Amino acid sequence: MPLHVTDYTWTQTDSTVHISVPLKGATAAGVDIVSTEEYLKVHFPPFLFEAFLFEPIDDDRSSAKVGNGVAVFTLPKKTHKVWEHLMITTDDKETKKEIRERALLTQEQKLSAELKQKAEKRQAEKKYALETMMKLEKVERDRIQQMKDAEREKTTAELAAWQLRQKQEAEKAQQNQNHQIQRNPDTKTPGSRQTDIRKNKQVHSDAEKKKKKIRAQLPPPRTCGNIPVTFTPRVFPTALRESRVPEEEEWLKKQAEARRAMSAELEELEDLTEEERNPDWLKQKGDKCFSNGDYVGAVNAYTLGIRLNRKLPALYSNRAACHLKLRNLHKAIEDSSKALDLLTPAVSANAAARVRARVRRGSAFCQLELYTEGLQDYEAALKIEPHNEALQRDAQIIRDIIQGSAGQNGTQ
Amino acid sequence: MSSPLSKPQIIAHIQKSLNYTVFDSKWIPCSAKFVCLGNFARGTGVLQIYEVQHGSAQLIKEVEKAKPIKCGTFGASSLQQRHIATGDFDGNLHIWNLEALDVPVYTTKAHKEIVNSIDGVGGLGIGDGAPEIVTGSRDGTVKVWDPRQKDLPVANMEPVEGETKRDCWTVAFGHAFNDQDRCVCAGYDNGDIKLFDLRNMSLRWETNIKNGVCCVEFDRKDINMNKLVATSLEGKFHVFDTRTQHPTKGFASVSEKAHKATIWQVRHLPQNRDIFMTAGGAGNLHLWKYEYPAQRSKKDSDGADVGVAGSVSLLQNATLSTQPIASLDWSPDKQGLCVCSGFDQTVRVLIVTKLNVA
Repeated sequence: MPLHVTDYTWTQTDSTVHISVPLKGATAAGVDIVSTEEYLKVHFPPFLFEAFLFEPIDDDRSSAKVGNGVAVFTLPKKTHKVWEHLMITTDDKETKKEIRERALLTQEQKLSAELKQKAEKRQAEKKYALETMMKLEKVERDRIQQMKDAEREKTTAELAAWQLRQKQEAEKAQQNQNHQIQRNPDTKTPGSRQTDIRKNKQVHSDAEKKKKKIRAQLPPPRTCGNIPVTFTPRVFPTALRESRVPEEEEWLKKQAEARRAMSAELEELEDLTEEERNPDWLKQKGDKCFSNGDYVGAVNAYTLGIRLNRKLPALYSNRAACHLKLRNLHKAIEDSSKALDLLTPAVSANAAARVRARVRRGSAFCQLELYTEGLQDYEAALKIEPHNEALQRDAQIIRDIIQGSAGQNGTQ
Repeated sequence: MSSPLSKPQIIAHIQKSLNYTVFDSKWIPCSAKFVCLGNFARGTGVLQIYEVQHGSAQLIKEVEKAKPIKCGTFGASSLQQRHIATGDFDGNLHIWNLEALDVPVYTTKAHKEIVNSIDGVGGLGIGDGAPEIVTGSRDGTVKVWDPRQKDLPVANMEPVEGETKRDCWTVAFGHAFNDQDRCVCAGYDNGDIKLFDLRNMSLRWETNIKNGVCCVEFDRKDINMNKLVATSLEGKFHVFDTRTQHPTKGFASVSEKAHKATIWQVRHLPQNRDIFMTAGGAGNLHLWKYEYPAQRSKKDSDGADVGVAGSVSLLQNATLSTQPIASLDWSPDKQGLCVCSGFDQTVRVLIVTKLNVA
C-alpha cells in the first residue's frame, strides 16, 4: 500500500493553481507524474500523492518543476474562479476509481499520439534528406555527362576536320596530276615538238627504270623451308581450358579404371603389382619388348594383358605381329582374326588398326603359301586405305606369285 | 580529386547494324574507309566497304563470294595498291584489289580446313624485306606465302608424321627489322605458343599457357622483337618480354586475368607500342598500358641473361554489347580511331581520347 502524501501545500490565483509536494528524499528521476485535466498523480515509491482536482485545468499549459526535494506544479485553470478546495470532496471510492481510470486512459492516448507524431516527423525528415541527396547526385551526374558529351562532340568535330583535310589533300594531288598532263600538249611548236617527243620518251624510260628499281629493291621470295612441329600432347580434341582440367582428369581416370576393372576376380593375379594389373601398362611393356627384339617377352606381356581384358583389339593385333616374327603363323592368323572381330564397327577411327590387322593376317597366309587368302586380306586393306603404296606393291607381288604358280600348274 | 575524365575515354562514335555475321573488320590504309568480312546466313561470303561520313558509316561497295570469309589483312600490300589478303572457310587464300573485286589478284588453296587467322608483313611502308602473308588453319599447319610465288608456300610449319594435329587459332609476324629476319608466332588451341624463325627455318621458342590461345600480337612487326601479347580462353592474357631469351627459361612474362570470358583479340596502338586494347567475350574492351621495369634483364644464378617482366595497368574499360567482340583494328592514320565488330552483327567505330597523356 503506497503511503499517501498529505503534507503538500497549495496556493491559487484566479487563473492558476500552484501545488507543492515534498519529495521526501526521492530523486528527480524516480518521480512518476500523471496529469490530466481533472487528476494529478505524483508517485515516488513508496509515496503517492493523488489530487482529484476541484475544477478542470488546462493540461497542455500545465508545467511541473521537480527538484530541490520538492515538486512544484503550476496548473492554469480552465475557468477563472477561486477554488474552495484543491480536491473534490467526495470520499466515494467508486468515483475516485473512475476518475483515476479516465485519467490513465487519457494519459495513454496522449503518449501514443505524441509517439505517432514523432515517428511521422522523423519519416518526413528522412524523406527530405533522401530527396536532397538524390538531387545533388543527379546534378553531379549531369555535370559528368555534359563533360562526356562535350568531349564526344569535340572528337567528332576533329575527326570530320581530319577527313576534310584528307579529302582536300587528295584533291590537290589530283589537280597537280591534271596540271602535269595538261602541260605536255601545250607546247605545239614544231621545233619544240621534237624535243617534246624526246622528253616524253625520257620520262617514260625514267618511270620504267624507277619501277625496275623498286622491283629489284624487293628481295626475292624466300627459299622454301619446312619446320616440323610437335604439340603438347592432349587426349581431347577440344581446346584446353584450365577450369575443365579437373573434369578431364576425372574422366581419364575413370576410363583407365574401367579397363582395369575386369581383373578384380582372378585370384592368381594377387601376386602381381598394381602396374602389372593394368592392361595399358602391359601393352606398353609389350611394345617396348617388341621394339627391342624380345618377341617372347612381348607375347607374354600381351597374353597377360589379354587375360585381364579380353576386349582390347590392340593386344591381339600386336601379339599377332610378335607371332609373325616368331614364325608361329597359325597363332598369328588366330590373333589377327580375333583382333578384326573386335574391330567390327568399321569406322574411320579404327581404320588404321584394321589395316594393320589385315596386313598381318595377309602376310601370315602368304608365308603359309595360302596366297589367295593372303591376297584377299591385302585387297581388303587396300579398300580401307587405297593410297598406301606399300600395300599396292605387296598386293601386286602376291598377284604375280599367284599367276606365276598358276602358270606353272598350267604347264605341268 | 583525380578527375575520372583525365583517363582515356572510349567513345562509341558510330554503330552500324549488319545483316550478316561479321568476322573481321579492317581499316583501309590512308583513308577513312574500312572493310567488313563475314558470311551471309545462306552460307556465302561477303565483303563490304564502308566510309565514315558525318557520324555514320556509308556502304560504298558490297560483294558476295562463294565461301564465307574469316579473316583479312592489308599487311602485305603496298600503300598505293592496297590489296587485301583474305582467308576463307574452305582454306583458300585470296588477294583482292579493292577496285576490281570480281577476280582475285592471287589465289591459292592454302589449307585443307578453315583459315583461322592471317597476317601480312612487308607492305604499307612498314618493315623491309619481301611482302609475305602467313595463314594459320584448323588443319594444324602454319604456312607463309609470297604473293610472287604461285601455289607453293615459302615456309610450312606442319605437324610431324603421326602427330595428332591441334587447331592453329592465331598467327602473327614480328622481328622483321631487316631484309632477311622474320619471325612467325603461332598460337594453338591446346595452349601452345610457338615462335618460328624464318631466317634459320627453325623453332626459336615454345611454351604452353594452359589455355587455348586466341590471339597473339607483337607490339611492332618491324623492330627487333620487343613484346609479345598472347590472349587466351578463361580471360587471361600474357605479356612476354621478348628482348631477352634465356636458353631454358625462355621469355619473362606477366599475366593478367580480366574480362571474365575469352579474350578474343589484342591490338597494339600503332602510335604507341606500350598501349594495347583487349576485346573480350562479354562484349567489353579494356585499354591497357605496359610499364617497363627498372632493369629489363638481369643475370641469373648461372650467369645467363634472363628477362624481367614489367607490369600492366588498366587505363579504361567499356562494355559495348553482350556478345563477344571478335575483331578490333586501330586506324594507322588517326590516333585513337578504331573499328571493332562483334557477333551481335554490328560494327562499331570507336574513338579513344587522351592517349597522348596516358
